[in-house]
Amino acid sequence: MNDQELRGQIETLKDRLTGLEQPSRTRYYLTCEAEHVYAVCRFLFEDVQARFVIATVIDNDDNYEIVYHFAFDELGTVINVQAFLRDRDHPTVASITPFLPGAEWIEREMHDLMGIHFEGHPRLERLILADDWPEGVYPLRKGGAS
Amino acid sequence: MSWKRWSLKRSPWVFHVNTGACNNCDIEVVDCLTPRFDVERFGIKLVGSPRHADALLVTGGVTRQAAPRLIRAYQQAPKPCVVFAIGACACDLGIFHSGYHMVGPVDKIIREVDPNAIIAYVPGCPPKPEAMISGVVQALAAL
Amino acid sequence: MTMNEILHNLFVMLVFPGLLFSVACGLLAVWVMRKVSALIHHRIGPPPAQPLYDVLKLLGKETLIPEAGQKVVFVLAPMLGFAGSLVLATLLWQGNLRPDQPFLGDVIGAVYLMAIPSLALILGGSASASPHAAIGTSREIKLVISYELALVLALIVALIKGVGAGATLPLSLGAMAAQTPVWSVSGMLAFLVSVLCVQAKLGLVPFDVAEAETEIAGGVLIEYAGPLLALWQLMQAVCLVALPLFVVTVFLGGFGPTVVGVLGGIGKLVLVLVLLILIKNTNPRVRIDQAMKFFWFLCGPVLVAAIMLAMIGRAQGIGWL
Repeated sequence: MNDQELRGQIETLKDRLTGLEQPSRTRYYLTCEAEHVYAVCRFLFEDVQARFVIATVIDNDDNYEIVYHFAFDELGTVINVQAFLRDRDHPTVASITPFLPGAEWIEREMHDLMGIHFEGHPRLERLILADDWPEGVYPLRKGGAS
Repeated sequence: MSWKRWSLKRSPWVFHVNTGACNNCDIEVVDCLTPRFDVERFGIKLVGSPRHADALLVTGGVTRQAAPRLIRAYQQAPKPCVVFAIGACACDLGIFHSGYHMVGPVDKIIREVDPNAIIAYVPGCPPKPEAMISGVVQALAAL
Repeated sequence: MTMNEILHNLFVMLVFPGLLFSVACGLLAVWVMRKVSALIHHRIGPPPAQPLYDVLKLLGKETLIPEAGQKVVFVLAPMLGFAGSLVLATLLWQGNLRPDQPFLGDVIGAVYLMAIPSLALILGGSASASPHAAIGTSREIKLVISYELALVLALIVALIKGVGAGATLPLSLGAMAAQTPVWSVSGMLAFLVSVLCVQAKLGLVPFDVAEAETEIAGGVLIEYAGPLLALWQLMQAVCLVALPLFVVTVFLGGFGPTVVGVLGGIGKLVLVLVLLILIKNTNPRVRIDQAMKFFWFLCGPVLVAAIMLAMIGRAQGIGWL
């Protein structure tokens, strides 16, 4: 696959995205809302055959933003999917672990530290925090924990 | 001084405990135990079990998860036992001073179980192996 | 038994070449091992009294016995091991230095006694109630069943080679010490294999899987602290002299009756010790399955070949086979 073909494949996602930017040849930024994350990631993983690198979660003041980083090694391209979770009280998004087992632990970590609930995750338990850490306290949220 | 203290100073066996360090101090501790610095001159030997240890080399600020384990390792070490707090985080939490998962520097946790514990501090981020050797030798001399 | 005899026996058992002498030689040998290793690493190493300091320090620490462990076996195992190694050392020294003394024990007795330190380690590890100790114990058992056969086969080679007709007690230590089977092809093979077996028996790298310090946190000895650990250290120190002494007796011609013979014997002992140290410092630790394969599938056939060569040599009268 070359750059044009990759761009073409990504553009087929346009109706699920709220934004598509390509600031340089090797960087893509796809923005979408929480409900389309599953479909977009599945397309990138299975159809484009990109490699899942890691996911990051950011606490913007009025929403949570999860960035899924995918790498297309053949062309040295990184595709970042920015998903916005608008519900601050109960941030929920579909888990991508069912088709991407490698995402299991990073989603657990995001749940542990930021309180994002991943629907469909096979084992959403404590991963990083101490066993006796109180429930419902998410340290990495703004105004976080003691 | 009693023959127990005298022989302890001649042959301190060390056990390394990481209670939440970033690994920088751990690398320096392991570096210190390599042939270049030759701590075997002082009788120092790295042992695999806390039950064989005379000195605990504790690195890192103590996290909430690691605190009970540190206490258990200290209790498993037969007394007399010296605790060395290696690095700024072990001495006084360093840059993780207001971290959400830190429950205290090493001396606070150890003194909860043993108020008379012998604790020596080797500050630095990380301390150089020479500083660690100097700290160990001074602590043994002051025993 | 007259009073004189009793006193003499006590002297032999407790002073020379018994408890004090064996322990002193053992601690000296431990220092030699650490010092030579240090020199190989291009560093200085510990002072000569370091092993003594280690033992004294351990005697001064508190004794900890695991609550869930078998307390009686836990405490008795190091004592058993230490006692066995002392008897072995005394037996070997007496057989070498005073071959004319009445029957103390022959080479078969020595082979039996050599198994006691390993058995004690296995017992102690099993009584520790720790999963690390259980792994260490199972590894020690596997190691023992690997090298014991090789050691006995090597001994058989020496017996075939050296035991001439007309010896009154062909299996006694004195008779074994009188010949030098190593100057022959089969003897040299058997000598080399027996050195490797001794390496495994002593728990030295590359065969220190049972007490792998950083892998299983001390393995067999993980729960031992204080004076009991001191007994283990003493046992290992005494074995560090006794086992090379066995090899010297069987293969290298032991200690002679004259002063030159004694000096030569010391030289041979140091030679075997240095071989052990060199192998220790130039090899990584092997896995337990690699160790078993090594002893069964490499040393075994080599020794069988050596036995056949020795028998051919004996039958045809060819000395150097």
